[in-house]
Amino acid sequence: MASALYFCDDKGKPLLSRRYKDDVPLSAIDKFSTLLLDCEEQSSILPPCISHSGIDYLFIQHNDLYIVALATSLNTNVATIFTFLHRLMAVLGEYLKTVEEESIRDNFIIIYELLDEMMDYGIPQVTETKMLKQYITQKSYKLVKSHKKKRNAARPPTALTNSVSWRPEGIKYKKNEAFLDIVESINMLISQSGQVVRSEIIGAVKIKSRLSGMPDLKLGINDRGIFTKYLEGNDIGTSPAVEEVDDKAKKTKNNESSITNDGKKARSNIELEDLKFHQCVRLSKFENEKIITFIPPDGDFDLMNYRLTTSIKPLIWCDVKMQTHSNSRIEISCKAKAQIKKKSIATNVEILIPVPDDADTPTFKYSHGSLKYVPEKSAILWKIRSFPGGKEYSMRAEMLLPSISNTEETKLKRPVQVKFQIPYFTTSGIQVRYLKINEPTLQYKSYPWVRYITQSGDDYTIRVSNN
Amino acid sequence: MPPLDKKIKKFLKNSIRVAPKISNKGELGELRTGLVSPYPQTRKDAIKKTIQQMTLGKDVSSLFPDVLKNIATVDVEQKKLVYLYVMNYAETHPELCILAVNTFVTDSQEPNPLIRCMAIRTMSMIRVDKILEYIDTPLRRTLQDDNPYVRKTAVICVAKLFQLNKDLCVELGVLEDLTKALDDTNPMVIANAIAAITEINSMDSTAIALDKLIQSHVSQFLLALNECTEWARITILAALAEYTARDSLEAKDIIDRVTAHLQHVNSAVVLATIKVILKNVTFLDPNQYSPDSKIMKKISSALVSLMSTPPEIQYVALKNIRIILEKYPEILSKELRIFYVKFNDPMYIKLEKIEILVRLVDMSNIKQCTLLLNELKEYSMEFEPEFVSRAIQALAELGIKNGNEMFISKIVDIINNELLERGLETVRDDCCIAMSNLLRCCSTNETMIQQICSTLNSWSAPEDTLTTDLAKCHYIWLMSTYPNHFPSVVEKLTAFVTNFLQEESLTQIIILTSVIKLHSRLEGSVLQNIFETATTHDSVELDVRDMAMIYWRCFSMEGTNDQLINDLCNSSLPKVENILDKFSPETLEKLLTELGTISSIYFKPLDDDTVNASRKRRQIVNQNIIHGKQLNELQDIAKNELSGGHEDVLLDFGDDDSNFINNNSNSGSALNELDDLFSNMNQGVNDLNISQQTSSTTASSENTNKTSNATNTQDLLDLF
Repeated sequence: MASALYFCDDKGKPLLSRRYKDDVPLSAIDKFSTLLLDCEEQSSILPPCISHSGIDYLFIQHNDLYIVALATSLNTNVATIFTFLHRLMAVLGEYLKTVEEESIRDNFIIIYELLDEMMDYGIPQVTETKMLKQYITQKSYKLVKSHKKKRNAARPPTALTNSVSWRPEGIKYKKNEAFLDIVESINMLISQSGQVVRSEIIGAVKIKSRLSGMPDLKLGINDRGIFTKYLEGNDIGTSPAVEEVDDKAKKTKNNESSITNDGKKARSNIELEDLKFHQCVRLSKFENEKIITFIPPDGDFDLMNYRLTTSIKPLIWCDVKMQTHSNSRIEISCKAKAQIKKKSIATNVEILIPVPDDADTPTFKYSHGSLKYVPEKSAILWKIRSFPGGKEYSMRAEMLLPSISNTEETKLKRPVQVKFQIPYFTTSGIQVRYLKINEPTLQYKSYPWVRYITQSGDDYTIRVSNN
Repeated sequence: MPPLDKKIKKFLKNSIRVAPKISNKGELGELRTGLVSPYPQTRKDAIKKTIQQMTLGKDVSSLFPDVLKNIATVDVEQKKLVYLYVMNYAETHPELCILAVNTFVTDSQEPNPLIRCMAIRTMSMIRVDKILEYIDTPLRRTLQDDNPYVRKTAVICVAKLFQLNKDLCVELGVLEDLTKALDDTNPMVIANAIAAITEINSMDSTAIALDKLIQSHVSQFLLALNECTEWARITILAALAEYTARDSLEAKDIIDRVTAHLQHVNSAVVLATIKVILKNVTFLDPNQYSPDSKIMKKISSALVSLMSTPPEIQYVALKNIRIILEKYPEILSKELRIFYVKFNDPMYIKLEKIEILVRLVDMSNIKQCTLLLNELKEYSMEFEPEFVSRAIQALAELGIKNGNEMFISKIVDIINNELLERGLETVRDDCCIAMSNLLRCCSTNETMIQQICSTLNSWSAPEDTLTTDLAKCHYIWLMSTYPNHFPSVVEKLTAFVTNFLQEESLTQIIILTSVIKLHSRLEGSVLQNIFETATTHDSVELDVRDMAMIYWRCFSMEGTNDQLINDLCNSSLPKVENILDKFSPETLEKLLTELGTISSIYFKPLDDDTVNASRKRRQIVNQNIIHGKQLNELQDIAKNELSGGHEDVLLDFGDDDSNFINNNSNSGSALNELDDLFSNMNQGVNDLNISQQTSSTTASSENTNKTSNATNTQDLLDLF
C-alpha cells in the first residue's frame, strides 16, 4: 500500500509528510515538482499517476494543494489510495473548514495526529470524522480561542472496532429529530438544435440525524427500491410505455394513495439498480429483502446515492443564437424557458453565455433578471432570481470585436452553462413513504422532516452553434 | 484572605498568560528553555513549536533529549506530541531513539489503549537492531491485548518488524500469533491481519503461506465482510479474490455473498467486489453470466456508477473498464451515453472516455453508431489539440470497426469537408492518417480514392506542413499507391527525397520503398541517388541501410529480375479489419486478476522481474538498519550526534532501472502501421496482428524487416 503521504503546494514542493514504510528514499518527493513540470511541458494531459524510477506518484488536487501518495509496488491498490485521499480531504475539511496551503501550515500537529490514526503502515484504518473527533483532541487553529482543556484523558472509543464503527455510544439529544433532504442534480448536454444528447439524474438522500442512543432506522421509498418515475405527459413527450404500464401504475397508486399528490401524472416503474449506500446500511438486508435499514452516524451524512439515465426534457432550456460580424461586433440573443410545472418555480437561475475573449463594450437589452459581463470568464452572466414554470424570458446583447484579429484564431467551443434550483420537486419522482425510527432502549418519539429539491448538476450545458 | 490569594497565584502560575510564551521564530535556544520550563503549558507549547520547526525542515534533532523528558506525563495530549516527534526521528536518527526505549516498554503497559498503541507503533519503526530486541515482550503482550483497537495495531506491527528484521521476526515466533489473529473475533483485527500477511508475503513469499491461509479462512472472511469498516472490506475482498473456488457451487456462494457490496458508496470496495465476482464467474455455467444475466447487469450498473466519482477514481475505473470490456465486450453496450465527454472533465478523462466509446459501440446497432459518429464529430471540432487529434483517430477507428462502405464514406466526408474546411493546420496530420486508414478499409472505392487524393494533392509542401512521422508515412504511402490521382506526385516525392536525411527512420523507409515503386515515373538518377545516400551515409539507421542494400541488389541483378521488380512494385495491402489495440490473451487474463491496482492503470501486468525489483529495493533499504552494535556504543553515537555534526545515516541508493512507459498503446499502433506499410513489399504476408508487446521501434522494425524481406533475401541467396 502507500509508502508515504505528502501535502505539497501548487508547485509540488512538500509542506508536510507522513512516511508509513521506509521503502522509498527521503529524496523521492523532491522529484515530484520536476515530474509535474515535465508532464506539463510534454502535453496538457496530466494523469493522476506518474511513475519515476520505480516509484509511483499518485496524487489528487485540492484547492492549491497536491496530495501525493507514494507507492513502490505495481500491486498497490490504486483505487483504495485515491478513495482514501479524497476521504482524507473530507475529514480534514471538517477539522479545518478549508484545506489549503495556509491552513495546512497552521495545523501541522492535528494533521500529523490524524494521518497517524487514519492510516497505519499504508493501510487505511479509521476515516469516520465523528469517531475520530472522539479521541483526536488537538484543537485546530480555527478553534484555538475556545480551547477548553479536557480533564478526562482521550481514549479510543470502544465503538471504533465494533461492527457499528461509525457511531459512538451515549449520544443524547433533548429533541430527537431526523431531517431528510432528497437532492437531485440534473446533468444534461443539449445540442444547439434542442436535442438532449445526454441526460442523467444524480440523486442523493442526505440525512441530518439528531437522535439519541443507538436508533435503528428503516426507510421506505416508493415501493421498495423501485422508484416510480413521473413522465409528465405533455411536458416530456409521449412515451409508448406509458399506456402499457398505466394499469399497473394505477394499482400501485392505490397502494400508495398517501403519497400521491398529483393525480394527473402517468407513471411507469423504473427499477433503479444503481444505488450506492453509506456504509451504515445493511447491504445484505437490502440485497435480499429490499429494505433499507441502518443505524445512522450522528450528524450529517449521505445515506444513499442513485442515478437515472432516462431521457428527460430540459428543465431550463435556452435557445442561444450568436451572430458574428467578423472584425466588428457579435450579436447574442437568448431565449430561456422554464419547462417545468406551472406551480413550480426555478430559483437562482444563472445562465453563463460564452463570448470571444477579445470582445468588449457590451450593450444589453433584457426583460427579467440581471445581466452582466464577466471578463475573467469571457462570458455574459444572466441571473434570474425566480423563474416560474412555463414562462419564457429573453435577452439580447451586443459586443464589439477588435477590428484587427488573428485569422488563425481558434473558434470558441465553450457551451452555455446553466445553474438552477427547483425546490419541492424531484424529477425522478422518488418519494419517501416513511422513516421509522426505533431506539430499543430509550423508546422516544421522533418525527422525520423531508424536503425535496432538484438542481442543476455540475454539467448542465447547451452547445452553441458557431456562426 | 490568604488561601484565595494563593489559589489565584497558583492559577496564574499555571495559566498560559503567565507562562512564558514561545515566539514563532523557532530558535533552538528558546525552544530548549521552553522544553524544560517549569510551566506545563509552556512545555507543551514548546513541543508543538518544535514539531512545527521540524515540519518546516529545520533540524531540531539536537532537542531530542529535552523533548523526551516530557514523555513521562499523564497528559495524553502531551504524550502524543512527544511520540509524533519521536516517530519522525525514528527513521532518520535511529540512535537517538535508544534513549527512549525504556519509556516505550513502560508505556506499552499503560492502562490507556491509545498510549499502548503509540508505544508499540513507534517501537516497531525504529531501525536499530538492539531496540528491536526489546520489542519482544511488548509486541507479544499487545497481540494478546483485551482491546481490539490495540490488537489491530499490533498485528500491523508484526509486518513492520518483518520488514526491519526478518530473522528476528521469525525467531520471536510472532508470525504464528499473526496467523492466529485471522481467527480473531473482531473483524477489524482480521482485516488488518490479512493486510499484514499480504505485506509480508510480498516481501518474502516463503515466510508465510498466504494461499493456504486464505483457503482455510474463506468462511471467516465472508462472515467478517458484512461487519467491518469499508477499508477492512477492501482488504478482505482482495484476499477473497486470491482464492480459487473448489467448484461452481462454492463460486456461486461467494458471488452471492459479495454482490451486495457492489452498492457500497466506496468506489474501491466496488472495484474489489467486481474483481471477486469476475474471478468466480468463470466457474459458473456460461448461461449464468451471459450479458443479460442478473449478475452482469449488476456489474454493469456498478461500473456506470463509478462515472460519477472524482476524476482520479474515474480514471482508474475507465482503465479497468477497458480491461473488462475486452473480456466481456457486451457488458456495457447499452450505456454508451454515460461515457460521453463532459465539458469540464480533465483531459486525461476525456481521452480515456474516447478509448472506451469506440470499444463499446455495438456495430450491429446502426443507430448507436450514428449517434457516436455525431458525438465524435462534435469532439473533433473542439480546440484542444490532443483531444481533437484523439477524436479524429477515433473517427477512423469507428469507421474501420464498422466496415460498411456507406458509413466510411460518411466519415470521410466529415473529415474532408468539415474538419479540413476549418483551415487549421494542426488537424492535417491526423486527418491524413485517418483518411489513409479508412481508405485501406475500402481500397476499391474509386470515388473515395478520388476524393481523398485530390484533397491531399492540393496541400502544398507536405514535407514541411506535416509534422509527425506517421502522417508523412501515410501521405507518401498514398502517393505511391495511387500515383495516378496525384498530378504532382513527382515533384512532391522529389521534395521528400531531398529531405531524406532529415527524416526519421520510419519516413526514410517509406520514401525508399515509394521511390522504388514509382521508379519508372521518376528520373533514373533519383533511384540511384537514394540508394547511394541510404547506404553510404553514416546517420542512416542500420535497418534502413540494410533494406536499401537489398533493393539495390535486386535492381542491379541482370535481366532475369523483371518479374521480381514487378512484384515488388505492384503488390497490394491486405484489408484493414481493426486498428484498435488489443491485449494478448495472457496479458488480459493477468490484468483481470489485477483490477484496481497500479499495474491495471499502466496495462503492465506484474511479472517476476518487477516483483523482484521491488523486493530488491526493500532489501537495499533494510541495509540501512544499524546492525550488531552494543547499546552503549549506540548511546555514544547518539551523544555524538547531539553534540557534533549531524551526519545522515541514510545511504543514497541508486534509482531502480524499471521504467514504466505509458505509451504502450501508442507505439503499438504506430508499429502496426509500419507493419502494414512494409507488407507492401511482400505479397505473402499473413494477417498482421497488433502487437502490444513490442518494446522499441528499432527492435521491432528489425523484425518486420526480416519477415517482409524473407522471400527476397531467399532469392538473393540463391543467386549468389
